[in-house]
Amino acid sequence: MIDHVLHAAVLMTTPVLLAALGGLVNRIAGLVNIGLDSMMLAGALVGLIVAAYTGSWMVALAAAAVAGGVLGLLMSLAITRLNANEIIVGLGFTIAVAGLVRFFLKSAYGSSGTLSLPDVAPLPRITIPVAADIPVVGAVLSGHDPLTWVAWLMVPLTAWFLARTRIGLRLRAAGGAPQAARALGLDPLALRDASTVFAGLMAGLGGAYLSIGVVGIFNEGITAGRGFIALAAFYFGNNGPWPTALCALLFGLFDALQIRLQGHGVPTEIVQTLPYVMVVVVLTAMAHAVRRRRAKGG
Amino acid sequence: MTSAASPSSGLWQPAAAMAAPFLAALAMAGVLLAVAGHNPFDVYGLLAVESFGNIKRITATLAAATPLILTGLAIAVAFRAGVFNVGIEGCVYVGGLTAAFVGFTATALPAAVLLPFSLAAGLVAGSLWMLIPGVLKARLGVDEVVTTLMFNFIAISLAAYLVNGPLLAPGSANSATPMVADTARLPRLAPPSTLNAGFLIAIALLVLYGLWGRHTALGLETRLAGLNARFAAAAGFNVPLLVIKMMLLSGAIGGLAGAVHALGNVGRFVTGFSPGYGFTGIAVALLGRNSAVGIFLAAVFFGALATAGATIQLFSDVPIEIVSVVQGMVMIFAVAQFGWPRLRRRFAS
Repeated sequence: MIDHVLHAAVLMTTPVLLAALGGLVNRIAGLVNIGLDSMMLAGALVGLIVAAYTGSWMVALAAAAVAGGVLGLLMSLAITRLNANEIIVGLGFTIAVAGLVRFFLKSAYGSSGTLSLPDVAPLPRITIPVAADIPVVGAVLSGHDPLTWVAWLMVPLTAWFLARTRIGLRLRAAGGAPQAARALGLDPLALRDASTVFAGLMAGLGGAYLSIGVVGIFNEGITAGRGFIALAAFYFGNNGPWPTALCALLFGLFDALQIRLQGHGVPTEIVQTLPYVMVVVVLTAMAHAVRRRRAKGG
Repeated sequence: MTSAASPSSGLWQPAAAMAAPFLAALAMAGVLLAVAGHNPFDVYGLLAVESFGNIKRITATLAAATPLILTGLAIAVAFRAGVFNVGIEGCVYVGGLTAAFVGFTATALPAAVLLPFSLAAGLVAGSLWMLIPGVLKARLGVDEVVTTLMFNFIAISLAAYLVNGPLLAPGSANSATPMVADTARLPRLAPPSTLNAGFLIAIALLVLYGLWGRHTALGLETRLAGLNARFAAAAGFNVPLLVIKMMLLSGAIGGLAGAVHALGNVGRFVTGFSPGYGFTGIAVALLGRNSAVGIFLAAVFFGALATAGATIQLFSDVPIEIVSVVQGMVMIFAVAQFGWPRLRRRFAS
């Protein structure tokens, strides 16, 4: 039972973790991405279709990433070049993309909301020889797909990238001090666009993970608001890749538990509210701490 | 620049400001329709006939616009105070569930009391739902966009829990509460159309809103606080208290929108209660530029799209989803082309 829950928890963490890391880099560069969920949805659909037609999960992942990235670029251009409000544009993308996806499904496949294709190439599973036989460790480490490994590798990589590389520093400058960045000859808007494209790529991968990695079909509700859970994760993690990842893992655990607890008297709807409640609590605690620190400092 | 957002500027400018994002979105959706093999002009012509073609269609459009007038108003009230409340969808759920609950439990109340009491219950519930985000924003400076967005998901899940468990109608297979008492239903204005007294409530509130913004001290204070919070604070206004008040008012109108939808259209609370009224309300408030007339026109536009979209799907093979596409694009174009200076400044830092 524990093995099953832990394995499912790691599985359900991956899509949120991918999107959250993208959103985190995006936010550090100065743009709060409310549209992550729409990019996941696009990635899930494109990933499934390409996986069915090419028979290659790698091509499918690449296509899903591109789909998310293109949406990210469009969204970013509206915000950085047309001075549109990021919250409204993010919500607008969420609504428009959901409509587009359903419009496309009806027009191209004559189906309402669900798409099931033959010969979808699923993500392969990697069994780790020795670890697979150890009870708990095996469930956590073995039997996962390459994308899960990539997602977790991205955590230290993102931390290193932001802290130690030249372009990471520039991204932080674009977000934290755009005027100073401009004075140094950087282009904060272009940096911000690049970060949104990155967020779109990651969210697209997260979406494809859901369609070809987990269920094997596409459904209009496949993201189940995971783009917003990812938003919750990087707000919760306060822009740190590790805390964000831990938070994504916690949400993954909730997700896995909720599936397990179905029919055991625990209302799943209540469990579903936990990530959102936690974000409000954490934001409150952080604001409270800031206020107290300020009060102490005089 | 600010004149475009002011309700007092001439008629022409706001009309152009409203029409531009709408036309841009229709143009983009038209391309999409053409790609999918439909003639966009035929589709739009059919849409216009189906939404305004005769009295029956017009009443259907107004019925569909009723919740949108209220949610648009709820969001406009908060926008005016410089508060970015995206949590009205949650208020619609909470208000609708509460109003329905009173409507099917307090049936012993006399007919003259039950309906107002149910409406008031929904209103109060919606208002209280915004208390925590309002206080957090006013006292601790917690970003209300994030908290209200999160509160939406909490409200939707909580309502789903209640309607699947404790409040599930006995013997009902799908997730729905029992029907409210007939005396708790909002009376219909032109049967068989679903247009009901909720429309009159919405119009009355719009008129009040128009007067309030121009002729009352609180309206002026709110507007000044929205335009420049620091100046308002320096001028001696209690800005945090004002923010809390406006969040409560915004939530109250959102809750009322839910109550009107429950008691006027649905007759009970069901899962998937709101087809995104709270989010469409954002588009309505943006497109209407916060003015009473603008909100009315924008709500009628979206109401027309929703009601006509449903019927053209019956007569042609155009998927109704084209409506969501237009709606999302209207939101994007409404902020992209003209950029609301006030809200932009708020997020510029």
